[in-house]
Amino acid sequence: MSVSNLEVSRTRKIRILIAKIGLDGHDVGARVVARGLLDAGMEVIYTGLRRTNEDVVRAAVEEDVDWVGVSILSGAHRVLLPRLRALLDESGANDIRILAGGIIPQEDIPVLQAKGVDKIFLSGTPIAEIVDYLVKETPHV
Amino acid sequence: MNIFKPSGTFASADNEPAPDVAAETARWKEETFAPATAGVKDRKKFVTDTGLPVEPLYTPSDLDATGFDYLRDLGFPGEYPFTRGDRPGMNRTDPFVVSAYSGFGDAEACNKRFRKLIEFGTEQILVALDLPTQCGYDSDHEMATAEVGSVGVAIDTLADMELLFHGIPADSIKRIGTLGNSIGPIVLALYAALGEKQGIDWSRYTVNLQNDPLKEYIARGTQILPPDPAARLASDAVAWCVEHAPNWSPMTVCVNHINAGGAGSSMGTAIALANARHYIDLLLAKGYTIDQVAPLLHMFPDERHDFFVSIANLRALRRIWARMMKEQYGATTPEAMACRTTVYGHGQEALAEPLNNIPRTAFGTLAYVLGGASYVYLAGYDEAVSTPNENSARVALRTLQIIANEHGFTDTVDPLGGSYFVESLTGQVERQILDGLAQIEQIGGALAVIGKGFGRRVMTEGAVRRQRAIDSGERPWVTVNMWPQKPDVPNTAFRGDEKAAERQLARLARVKAARDAARVKAALAEVDRATAEGRNVVPSVLEAVRAYASVGEIVDLWRRRFGSFVPSTDF
Repeated sequence: MSVSNLEVSRTRKIRILIAKIGLDGHDVGARVVARGLLDAGMEVIYTGLRRTNEDVVRAAVEEDVDWVGVSILSGAHRVLLPRLRALLDESGANDIRILAGGIIPQEDIPVLQAKGVDKIFLSGTPIAEIVDYLVKETPHV
Repeated sequence: MNIFKPSGTFASADNEPAPDVAAETARWKEETFAPATAGVKDRKKFVTDTGLPVEPLYTPSDLDATGFDYLRDLGFPGEYPFTRGDRPGMNRTDPFVVSAYSGFGDAEACNKRFRKLIEFGTEQILVALDLPTQCGYDSDHEMATAEVGSVGVAIDTLADMELLFHGIPADSIKRIGTLGNSIGPIVLALYAALGEKQGIDWSRYTVNLQNDPLKEYIARGTQILPPDPAARLASDAVAWCVEHAPNWSPMTVCVNHINAGGAGSSMGTAIALANARHYIDLLLAKGYTIDQVAPLLHMFPDERHDFFVSIANLRALRRIWARMMKEQYGATTPEAMACRTTVYGHGQEALAEPLNNIPRTAFGTLAYVLGGASYVYLAGYDEAVSTPNENSARVALRTLQIIANEHGFTDTVDPLGGSYFVESLTGQVERQILDGLAQIEQIGGALAVIGKGFGRRVMTEGAVRRQRAIDSGERPWVTVNMWPQKPDVPNTAFRGDEKAAERQLARLARVKAARDAARVKAALAEVDRATAEGRNVVPSVLEAVRAYASVGEIVDLWRRRFGSFVPSTDF
């Protein structure tokens, strides 16, 4: 992976919460991404399965993360992701950005982006691409 | 040339190899192969997903090296150790059962699809349940938000089952069933009550369930309770069938999700066998015999990367199962030693250019058929991204029918038996599985695989290894790392039918309003008592579903009694 020296100029590592929301039990993708981001030098927290949006927002705020990465493969993204954005904003965590990964139809992507999902990576995206995106997009502090 | 040793001898690894072949093979490698291939860069790493190196050529000396013995290791189809097949005539006289896994929306919408599938020639339907049902939540529960009828059909009460099978008598196809991994006794009771409603005796139809909760904790994710009570409830379903419906197959112990999640097929098989042993031990502790229990269990092997490993895995699994049942459990009947297998044909399906998944899944399925699977499903080419549409469901069934009937694939039993490569692999895969089993025994068996994090660890490591092999191109994948194309997720992907969800909620409300509330209350109280006293829960659950108690109402009793599982945050 092309990511070995990404943290050189950062005083704080990129922090990301990888989340599974709802009943979808497929978390291999979430765990592989979590491991890949950890290997790339980020601080990664995984929620485990079957969390509610409220659980995720609480964890994101407590852990003071830069990103929440939500893995969804059951089709419930259209309801769950906009609600996650709204709840984050309500908790004053407007600065925490949302990534989504999994099986998301093309036509849903602009809709989700309009509703506050920063970026969507479909299943099969190389980890390096996700790493590069996070490095580029996370402000240095 | 006779590749097999004379009958009746017991070979061992230090037996003398056939010197002529071994010497000649070495000569060929040096004199012919090496000069011709010198300077040719390997176009890939020749290693199986399970980590076995693949040689350029296999000869009788490879068999000799493993101490291969025909009569001991293969025998004959339908006879111990069942390596060549669990049935005497296999596909020639007793073809694999053409099966479909299907479900979406509500029972009304889904019933129409089932009729179509039967028209296309399916012989078995396994109902795909939506996630709320699988996780024990009624459609009106908060956790069911946006999930009702999404990845499967919503079943809240017996009323939904009646509608789902309206005009489809339970005995009109070879088998009906569902997964119901964490709600095994409830789905069993629903299928039993369905027969009663249709006036069909339990002996006249066959219900197949997955009912394998243990793999959910590491692989599939629909676990509800802690593992120990979950396994006990699952074994209750098997015990009830021993008593009331011995022709049913109430448990299918799964490799597939464990392998797909990263464990690899050999370790996945080892974990599944450890799970099977856990269920069997629970049943033996209740006083049932292995000859009663084992015939009701199926295995669900899985290998979707390497065609020949898939064949080897099925053959090795049957041999291991037979020996385990006979030597460790003292089984005495062929039915208790013959491992029946359910398989679900996959390939390495890609999101880009989904039609390419048709040949991929066909090849994957062909391997299972050549390996001697008994019940065969095939993934829809769009299944990675959506609930298969009618067209992809038909292509899947037609592919199975083509494999069953064309090309002569099924004319002779175990057609690859005796192949130097396949027999070598079968021996090597068997060794990998037995090593995995020994490792699991050492840490404390099936519950330790979950509790000590062993399962999750091997799966995450395997998944990361696979991802790296794909990212680096080490594992070739057309349209992904060769001729790469953009993933194409159709707009229909797992798009729940909102009208179906509305219908489902309305029906649930109607059923709850119309049922005899006192009867439901009494029946639920009896389920709770049976659970508390450690009696088999199925009789009381059956009475509850007859009274139209809902799946969620029954599961809530168990949640209160046993508590809920705590999801792991390890990765």
